[in-house]
Amino acid sequence: MDDSIPLKSAGPHDIKGVSGGLVLLSDMGQDFAASRDIDAALLKGIQRITDYVGAEAGALFLLEQDGGVLRCTACAGATEITGMTLLSDEGIVGRCVQTDTAAIVRDVAKDPNFQGAVDAQTGFTTRSILCAPLSVKGERIGAIELVNKADGDGLFVDDDLHLLQTLSTSAALAVLNARMAEALVEQERVKRELELAAEIQRGLLPDTPDEAFPVHGVNCPARTVSGDFYDFFPLDDGRICFNLGDVSGKGMNAALLMAKTASLYRCLGKTIHQPGRLLALINEEIRETVTRGMFVTMVGGIYDPRHGSVRLANAGHEPPLLHGADGSFVDFPADVPPLGISPMLTNGEAIPEVEISLNGGSLYVFTDGVTEGYLEDGSEMQTAGLKQVIIDHRSEPAAARLRAVISRIDLAGEALRDDLTLLVIDDAGPNAAREGPSEQPESTREAKENGAGEMVLHLKFTSQSDRLKLVRNAVFDTSLLCGCSEPTARDIVIAVDEASQNVIRHAYKGAPDGEVVLDISRENDDIVLHLRDFAEKVDVSKIKPRDLDDIRPGGLGTHFINEVMDEVTFIPLPHGIGNLLRMKKRIS
Amino acid sequence: MEHEIIVRGNIVIAGFEGDVDIHTSPDARKVLLECVGRKMPVLVDLSRVSYIDSSGIASLVESLQTARKGGSDLALVSVSEAALRVLQLARLDKVFSIYISIDAGIEGIG
Repeated sequence: MDDSIPLKSAGPHDIKGVSGGLVLLSDMGQDFAASRDIDAALLKGIQRITDYVGAEAGALFLLEQDGGVLRCTACAGATEITGMTLLSDEGIVGRCVQTDTAAIVRDVAKDPNFQGAVDAQTGFTTRSILCAPLSVKGERIGAIELVNKADGDGLFVDDDLHLLQTLSTSAALAVLNARMAEALVEQERVKRELELAAEIQRGLLPDTPDEAFPVHGVNCPARTVSGDFYDFFPLDDGRICFNLGDVSGKGMNAALLMAKTASLYRCLGKTIHQPGRLLALINEEIRETVTRGMFVTMVGGIYDPRHGSVRLANAGHEPPLLHGADGSFVDFPADVPPLGISPMLTNGEAIPEVEISLNGGSLYVFTDGVTEGYLEDGSEMQTAGLKQVIIDHRSEPAAARLRAVISRIDLAGEALRDDLTLLVIDDAGPNAAREGPSEQPESTREAKENGAGEMVLHLKFTSQSDRLKLVRNAVFDTSLLCGCSEPTARDIVIAVDEASQNVIRHAYKGAPDGEVVLDISRENDDIVLHLRDFAEKVDVSKIKPRDLDDIRPGGLGTHFINEVMDEVTFIPLPHGIGNLLRMKKRIS
Repeated sequence: MEHEIIVRGNIVIAGFEGDVDIHTSPDARKVLLECVGRKMPVLVDLSRVSYIDSSGIASLVESLQTARKGGSDLALVSVSEAALRVLQLARLDKVFSIYISIDAGIEGIG
C-alpha cells in the first residue's frame, strides 16, 4: 500500500540505495509469496524495478515453453507492449537470454548491434538499454530490459546495470518459485483425482469374504490405479462365478478399460453361466469400443462347491495353476488370444472351456505381475517360484497363502514392477463337506443337466411378509400345472409358505431387503422345490420340529414342512453364500 | 384379511375372512386376545378363511390358553377345508372344540 514511498526517496546511486534495494527485494518476494496470480506479481515487480533504477520504461520477457519465442509478460512505462513476442535470439534481449549475460548499450546510436526490434513494433525511440537475464542455475527463464534513463542525459551507466542484475536474480527465483508452486498445485489436483479413481476401482473388487469361503483374491496396484482386476460372486444355485483379468498398460487408460471389463463381466455373469460364451461377448463389446492397441487377457470360470468342479475359459492369460491335494501341479494354457484383438472369437462362437476337477485342491489364477515380479535378490519369481511359495504355505488358509505370495514381491520401500493380482479357488473345505457323514443329495442342476427335470418356475422375491400371498398363489398354480391334485398342491403351498417364513424370520431376521429365490421343477413323478437365501448360514441342527404334546405358540412351521413333504434337505453350501433348502413331493 | 366381531347374548363371535398368514396374523392375534379379554365365551368363525399358517394357528392356541386361564372358553366354528388341514397337521383338531355352525357353537359353548 505504501510501497512507492521509500522507493522514490531512495536514489539508486547513494549508500541508501543498497538498503533501498534490499527493501525492494524483500517487498517483491512478499508480492510473489502472497499472490496466486504470477502475472499480477510480475507486473508489480517490473513497475517497482523500472521505478527504482529510474528508467523510462521496463519490460519483462519470458521464454515460451518451446524456448523459441520470448513474450513480454509485463511492462512499465509509456508504451504498452505486454504480449509482444520476439524470436528468442532476436535483439539485445534475445542475445542476453542466449548468452545468459547482462548487457548495457549506453548509447544505441553508437552500437552497431542495436537493431531496434522493439522500436520497430512500437514506435518508441530507444536511446539507452539495460538488459539482464533471468536464469536460475543455468535454466533460462527470460530477461528484464530497461530503456532510457529518466533523468540526466538519458543514458544508463554501469552501476545501473549492476543494480538491475541484482534485482533480476531475485526476480528469476521468484518466477521459478511461483511456477513450481503452480505445478505443485496441479500435481496435487491430478493426484487427488487419481486417488478418487483408485477408490472407485477398489469398490469394483469384491468384499473380503469369511476365511472359510472357498474363493479369495488380492490386488496390489503398481501405481495408484490398476489395470488388473478380479471378481467373484455366488449364483442362485450355490455355484460361484469368478474372473481375473489384466488390461495392457498401467495408466489411467488401462484403469478405465479395467472398470469397463470388470463391470461387463459382473453384469453378464449373473445371467450367463457359461464362461466361454461370456468372454466371447465381452470380446465383442471391447472390440467395438476400445482404443486401438489395447487388449485384455482374462480368465473366467464357474466353481461348483457341491462337486468340486470348475469350468474355465482362458483368453490369452497366464495359465492358471492347479495345485492338487496330492501335491501335483497342472496348468491350463490359453487356447485363444486376448480379448479386444481378434474378431475371430466373436463369430457367434464361445471361447473353449475346460472342465477341471479340483478334488480338494486349489486353483490359482494370477497376472504376469506375479510371475515377473522381482524377488528380494533381484531375480524374477517365475512360475517355479510361485509353486515353491504355494508348497511352502500349503497348510495355511487360502487367504494367508495369497498374502505369502504377495509378501515375496511387494517389498517394503520398493516400487512394484507391475500390478499384482491373484485369485485362489480352494476346494479343501467343500471337499471335506462332500466326503463327510451327511449324504449328498442330488441337486436340481444335476437333474436338469441329466435331462431328468424341467424347470417350471423361477421366482425371486424380497424377504417381506406381504410377498408370501403372491408366492402361495404361484406355488399352488405351478403345482397344479405339474399334475398335483388340489389337496397336494395345498400341502406344497403350506410347506413353501412356512419355509419362506423361516427365511424371513430366522435367516434374514426380519430385514426386508433380503433376496429369496424359489425354483420349482418337475423331475419324473416328483415335484422338486429349491428355496435359496443369501443370509448368514443357519444352524440346521437348531431347526427342530416342535414337540406336538407341548401346545405352545410358534415353532410349528418346520413340523408342517416335514409332515407334508416327502423329502426335506438342507443342501450344504460353503459359509458366506446363504442357505439352500430342497423339498420333494410325489406328484400322484 | 378382514374381521368382524358380533356379540350374541353372552357369546362373542369373531369372524375372519381371507388369508391369516405371517403378514396378517399379528392383527388376528390382537383381535382374538381382545375378544378373550371380555371374559365371555368366544367363537371363532373360520368359514371364510382361505389360508391359515403356523403363526395364525399359534394365535388361536395362545387365545385358547388365555381364555381357559381366565375361566372362559374358546371354540372354532365352520372351519374351512384349508384351515382344517393345518389344524390336523398340528394335531390340534382334537385340542380345539370345533362346531359345524355358529348355532351349534352357541349351543355347545353357552
